[in-house]
Amino acid sequence: MTHAACKHIRNFSIVAHIDHGKSTLADRLLEATGTITQREMKEQILDDMELERERGITIKARTVAMRYRRGKDEFELNLIDTPGHVDFHYEVSRALTCCEGALLLADAFQGVEAQTVANGYAAMEHDLTIIPVINKIDLSHARVDEVIEEMEQSLAIDPDEVVKVSAKTGIGAKELLDAIVDRVPPPTGDPDAELQAMVFDSHYDKFRGTIMYVRVMNGTVNKGDKVRLMRAGTNHDCIELGQFRPLRTPCEKLYAGQVGYLICNIKSIDDVHIGDTVCLAKSADLVKPLPGYKAPKRMVYCGLFPSDGQDFEELRDALGKLSINDPSFEFEPESSEALGFGFRCGFLGLLHMEIVQQRLEQESDVDLVQTAPNVTYEIVTNNGETLEIHRPQEVPDSGQIQEFRQPIVRVNLVQPTEYIGAVMKLCQDRRGTLVRTEYLSSTRAMLTYELPLAEVIYDLHDKLKSATRGYGTMDYEVIGYRPGDLVRMDILVNGKRVDALSIICNRHDADRRGRAVCKKLKSEIDRHMFEVAVQAAIGSRIIARETVPAMRKNVTAKCYGGDISRKKKLWAKQKEGKKRMKSIGQVDIPQKAFMAVLDTGEEK
Amino acid sequence: MTKNRHQTPQSAYIHIPFCEHRCAYCNFTLIANRQDLVPAFLEAIDRELQTLGQAMPIQTLFLGGGTPTYLSESELNQLFDSLDRWLPRQPHHETSVEANPNDISPAKLQLLTNRQVNRLSLGIQSFDNTKLRALDRSHTSDQCFASVQLTREWLDNVAVDLIFAAPGETQSTWQRDLETAVKLGVQHLSTYGLTFERGTRFWSDLQKQRIHRSEEDAELSMYRAAIATLTSAGFEHYEVSNFAMPGHRCRHNEVYWQGKTYFAFGPGAARFVDGQRETNHRSTTTYLKRMQQGSSPTAESETLADEDYARERLVFGLRRLEGIQFEDFHRDTGYSLESIGGAALRRYLQSGWLEISQDTIRLTRQGLFISDALWPDLLVAENANECAT
Ligand SMILES: Nc1nc2c(ncn2[C@@H]2O[C@H](COP(=O)(O)OP(=O)(O)O)[C@@H](O)[C@H]2O)c(=O)[nH]1
Ligand code: SF4
Ligand SMILES: [Mg+2]
Repeated sequence: MTHAACKHIRNFSIVAHIDHGKSTLADRLLEATGTITQREMKEQILDDMELERERGITIKARTVAMRYRRGKDEFELNLIDTPGHVDFHYEVSRALTCCEGALLLADAFQGVEAQTVANGYAAMEHDLTIIPVINKIDLSHARVDEVIEEMEQSLAIDPDEVVKVSAKTGIGAKELLDAIVDRVPPPTGDPDAELQAMVFDSHYDKFRGTIMYVRVMNGTVNKGDKVRLMRAGTNHDCIELGQFRPLRTPCEKLYAGQVGYLICNIKSIDDVHIGDTVCLAKSADLVKPLPGYKAPKRMVYCGLFPSDGQDFEELRDALGKLSINDPSFEFEPESSEALGFGFRCGFLGLLHMEIVQQRLEQESDVDLVQTAPNVTYEIVTNNGETLEIHRPQEVPDSGQIQEFRQPIVRVNLVQPTEYIGAVMKLCQDRRGTLVRTEYLSSTRAMLTYELPLAEVIYDLHDKLKSATRGYGTMDYEVIGYRPGDLVRMDILVNGKRVDALSIICNRHDADRRGRAVCKKLKSEIDRHMFEVAVQAAIGSRIIARETVPAMRKNVTAKCYGGDISRKKKLWAKQKEGKKRMKSIGQVDIPQKAFMAVLDTGEEK
Repeated sequence: MTKNRHQTPQSAYIHIPFCEHRCAYCNFTLIANRQDLVPAFLEAIDRELQTLGQAMPIQTLFLGGGTPTYLSESELNQLFDSLDRWLPRQPHHETSVEANPNDISPAKLQLLTNRQVNRLSLGIQSFDNTKLRALDRSHTSDQCFASVQLTREWLDNVAVDLIFAAPGETQSTWQRDLETAVKLGVQHLSTYGLTFERGTRFWSDLQKQRIHRSEEDAELSMYRAAIATLTSAGFEHYEVSNFAMPGHRCRHNEVYWQGKTYFAFGPGAARFVDGQRETNHRSTTTYLKRMQQGSSPTAESETLADEDYARERLVFGLRRLEGIQFEDFHRDTGYSLESIGGAALRRYLQSGWLEISQDTIRLTRQGLFISDALWPDLLVAENANECAT
């Protein structure tokens, strides 16, 4: 039953493979509805984080409310933007929970890609009305009919429902708006019921505190209401509410079906949980919380250490600030013999890790040492206990291990058929199991493999791109843990184990990786005044060794009156540089070296 | 007492920023082939000297560059007139002048000795024509021989500079250079391994891999050869890169290494007066302008705290192979050597890079070869950041 007030509301997302034109299309819709004039149009208005601009990808879900007039009716179209990268799957799912419809966008030349399929499935799982859209029809090499066939093959799309647009020229924008109005059902909530609003995102504003992004499911929230965050159980005064059009535009109330923001003077970020339900404080007892989101599972961990031990507190603050706007990122203090005090951080994936690190660098000036990322393992010990392993140092002695398990993912790889052989080899080399091969059209196929996550995250994407001349795309989801023949490999520098350099790898790869890591470390470690031995070991067995020969000559010639100040500066700088290194015993190890363990020893 | 660095300087350095041509490895403060600027320069130097306010008697005077002998005889006379007025030399002074082999003539030597120059330092670099060309020097092997021989006739204190590890240089070229210098009877030798400095042509050649650094081992054996050849010929190896016949050490340079005070004048010149290190502006034209305007030529200055001074004293003192006497160190700095050297010093002693005998601490042979790696930790206080694993 749709309440009269909701009849003019449409909530939808755009989902697509990266670069298929999601952001550009959003811009056209904003323009076509007059939400923003052409003059105001900063290109791709929704990607407003600096980093997102830099990388050309959307990371966080954004939302914007548009007014669309048709005849004598005015519609409120709420577009909830979604990220396009596999690391941020769960954000897509968050956004989809707030929608009744999704535009499934495919590039008229690139066609259906791995994430087109993944996102299409996600939209179906949320029972959304899907509007298939083919973008970039202005391209002279567009292959519209074939792409329609690919959509039909892979996602059972009805060819007659496909809307053809060019987000670049604006062709089809009007038709698309009509399709949204006509096909996406209006929301079903009741504005007169008790308030239930879903917090689907938040961000922290220096001046206003936490700004919550909400979809009102039922009831109405008015400015001035006392609201409750059900999970935290805290009450707050709603001092401002409104919608993004696309700038924050306050209004008096938000009712069922609408999407907008709430500002409730919340300074403590701990109170706001994504997926929480907002209700009115006075009727809290009458309301059941909405089904929340599953907390996203962190799949990749790495250590972040301040290169200057004195910056520990500063790093803690910086990480805290970041996690406000990125609840999927977690961190806890850890200490390493080699690196001192720092934090073990959990990420959704490698891209997520890179982004967090880059933000840290931009937003604080703590110099960081990062350890090589690893996935989360599980170990069943002899006494039947199951341990979750976030860092290699935690792996117990092999005598105590009954079963060593690793996360397995199902990977979809889409590529032109001529590359099938190369891609299969890539997956087989990584101990993949072929699940199926599916032909999307006469020229493109999708392979589905099961692979250890560890084999996927480090470089499968890069390898796929080079094996397919850039045409291959992939997407994956975790399907569970399975036992594997895994070992912990340690690195010793002059006989001392460097805890932060241990890795977990397949037993059969250990020799090759051990050699590669030792070689890499040899090239990273400067000559010292004594010989430095770098060894790889499994348990007490040494599997590889390299030697950094001792420095033989390091003496400058001149040092006269004018050189004294200059030399002093130089040496002070060298000393500063050394401070930035980590010393293990007497050996200075540059920070870059802590990533050396990623060197797999494969032919490039 | 820490009087050392507050004593009135007994030494002065004058920087002459002219050369006829800039060698491809050289990043010194100088402008090549600008004779026209010399008169303005001489006026500027005189102005800077006037800032002394009164005549300051000195023990050592050093004219360096650039190439002081690039100046004509009348120009040199004018310079010495200024110097004699403001920096009168005391009896038993040492007055050194750097010279290029192709500037040496009887007339110039006559003039220099007339103006009480008693030590000449010749920028020979090599006696081998191929190597001289590789180094982009503007003189020939013959000029090298002739200039040393001629200078020896006028002065009994002749120093030469030699560079090793030039592009393409072999062990035997270097050995011949060393032996030639010994045979020619010079009293002082400075040997420098070629370094690649930012802003020089060699630096960019190196980046573009048009030339290559010598192997570390080759450089080491050239350095060893210098030490062996020169010490067995009777030279004292008294500083990392300096060798002298007994009684012929460069007193002026010893002032630097012993943390004593000195005046300095001219572009890029660095002085140490009253506990303060100051460096003049490196650009010759800026220097000239500033002196014309009557403003200060100083571009950088640093007042040394007691501890900083002690650290400098330690590092630069250890470059002298005789080492540092504990007592002298304490007298000059007010600190004990152990407290300044700290953990680094103990580590280096343990590793055999430094040694103590009786009342003196000095570099060992092993320590000498890698000595640059020792200085950073001695110069900057250790901090607690190091992990004790
Ligand atoms: N020719 C053409 N290019 C387009 C069209 N839509 C988007 N693009 C280009 O495709 C690239 C990716 O677009 P973007 O909107 O950033 O994709 P997103 O990653 O899905 O957000 C950009 O270079 C756009 O200019 C279109 O309709 N035609
Ligand atoms: S002669 Fe000496 S000072 Fe002049 S450019 Fe050559 S190396 Fe430099
Ligand atoms: Mg985008």
